[in-house]
Amino acid sequence: MARITLENIKKAFGKVQALDGISLDVRDNEFFVLFGPAGAGKTTILNCIAGITMPEEGTVSFDGKIMNLIDPAHRNVAMVFENYALFPQMTVYENMASALRSKLYREDEATIKERIDKAAKMMKMEKLLERLPSQLSNGQKQRVAMGRALVRTPNVFLMDEPLAHLDAKLRNSMRTELKEMQANLGSTCIYVTHDFMEAMALGDRIAIINKGKIVQIGSGDEIYYMPCNEFTAELMGDPQINIIPAEFEKNGSGYNVVIEVNGEKLKKELPEDKAVFAKIAADGIGKADLGIRPQHIRYSFEPAEGYFKTTVYSYESIGNKSVITAECGKYQLRMIAPNGLNVAIDSDIYLKPELDRSILFDSDSKKYIIRYDEEAIRAFATKEVK
Amino acid sequence: MKTGKQRALNILMNVLLIIYAIFALFPLVWMILISFKSDTEVFTTTFIFHPTLSNYQQVLLRSDYARYIRDSLIVSGGAVLVSIIVGVPAAYALARYNFARKEELAFQILSYKFAPEILVVLPLFMIYQKLGLYDSYIGLIWVYQLISLPLLIWVVRGYFEDISVEIEYAAQVDGYSWYQIFFKMLVPLIKPGLVSSALLAFIFAWNSFTFPLILASSKVYPVTVAITKYLGTDSAHYGQLAVAATVSAIPAMVFALCIQKHLVRGLSFGAVKG
Repeated sequence: MARITLENIKKAFGKVQALDGISLDVRDNEFFVLFGPAGAGKTTILNCIAGITMPEEGTVSFDGKIMNLIDPAHRNVAMVFENYALFPQMTVYENMASALRSKLYREDEATIKERIDKAAKMMKMEKLLERLPSQLSNGQKQRVAMGRALVRTPNVFLMDEPLAHLDAKLRNSMRTELKEMQANLGSTCIYVTHDFMEAMALGDRIAIINKGKIVQIGSGDEIYYMPCNEFTAELMGDPQINIIPAEFEKNGSGYNVVIEVNGEKLKKELPEDKAVFAKIAADGIGKADLGIRPQHIRYSFEPAEGYFKTTVYSYESIGNKSVITAECGKYQLRMIAPNGLNVAIDSDIYLKPELDRSILFDSDSKKYIIRYDEEAIRAFATKEVK
Repeated sequence: MKTGKQRALNILMNVLLIIYAIFALFPLVWMILISFKSDTEVFTTTFIFHPTLSNYQQVLLRSDYARYIRDSLIVSGGAVLVSIIVGVPAAYALARYNFARKEELAFQILSYKFAPEILVVLPLFMIYQKLGLYDSYIGLIWVYQLISLPLLIWVVRGYFEDISVEIEYAAQVDGYSWYQIFFKMLVPLIKPGLVSSALLAFIFAWNSFTFPLILASSKVYPVTVAITKYLGTDSAHYGQLAVAATVSAIPAMVFALCIQKHLVRGLSFGAVKG
């Protein structure tokens, strides 16, 4: 197992700058998640670590040793490819045994069998071992690809969306298994995903990647509660965070916040938080975007004190809960509601955002300014996980 | 349930296929028949004749026919072997690597097949005379590359392109060197294409007439050229000619039957995708 360090990695494909100065430090035995939208460069980072892609600039080191000139075979990494990359002419068993039968990582056949049986049991595919890849479904292929990596004891596991093609039930159980396996084996693992649940559940730390750059690195909680900009805030969380443009007005010792709902200006008192007030006063902030998570929008179907009136845009039931989207003119507000409500589209709804849960973003640069209860949340989010 | 219309269509199709089969096979059948006829009966068009093996005796036992076959085997087999050794890496490079003018190069290789043989054979004749390649095995094997190499490169290239590059990456990560990957992972996957295109190349080389006619004379005598020997200036031994032609078709047929399994699969692309 090893500590993986990337320093200022740059890689272009033609005119597209796939990686633009990526620096990472993945600790020994860490489960590190690369998270970002499609085309962000996540897979290219893995390929650079595996040695498949040569970066044009920057260094890749394992335990401080620069690996740039070492070929993939000698780096001792195990990789799960997004498109499985199974060897079509070999059975599942032979596929999984492939690395352990190579000259570099040879094991005796008894050990190979033992490891494959163990991995197959974990993946629930004991009965598939004699099949050819062409006789497998996509989910099964993906499990074989995982199994091929898991039988090894590499410097690092590189996993490129290994659960993306599994059905929901299997994905959840595999997620749990993976986390447990990683904790037991004590292995460094770099895991690419675009599923925020996976990222939150698995990652000791998460790196948010966008357009070839690292946007933010931190624990899941850190990124969830203190996203460094609106992009990250929208990426983390489902349904995604609500962004409400707001203006501040001085009101005695405190501030009023003005938000626009369907063309009408609503004035509310900004809840008191010394750090927030100090920040607004110090930087002379006149306006900001308020980020409020869907679970922090209160709603009512009857008029109520402090609630403003608007209409329902859509109502989706998603199993154990539902998501109501309300129309507010220039923006929409999503909120989480219990299931089984009888909500008609375009009917009236009364909303009250919990302003004392909001995150303030700069209206122009979209960057994080401050949030309510920042200190308490920082203490909670950055506490040592293990 | 088949409707009457479908059944009628089926019958019609079969009738057409049978007519075509007769049309295609009749010359071959006729050739085999002639090979059993004596020279006097060659021109009888009825099927009644006195079968004789004298033609076979004459050709197989009392002439150098075995030598001609051997020469053909050496030249055609050698040509295909060289094509495989040269062509498979070339096909891999054309499929995997990006370099300047790649498509132009690939097309140029293909274009070697466009040129009529008779057009290039005269200059080649003079060049070969000068280089001392005239009437040698190496000379013919070399010129046969015009026939076999483009075919092999283009078919095998398609197969390489069908193999996702991640398979190679996966094997690299598993600890295999490039040569191990090539022979353990890639060759089994391109095998159907390789076998079928090699067979076709072999048949084309075997049937080649112009090149050996002009670029070889006494030392190297492929069977296609040798057959003309049975057409004398004053007399034509059609019976012996038919024997020579019939027997010369056997090696290619034997090869084709041996690898029939690969042949059908091999020329239909996309067999690799897992």
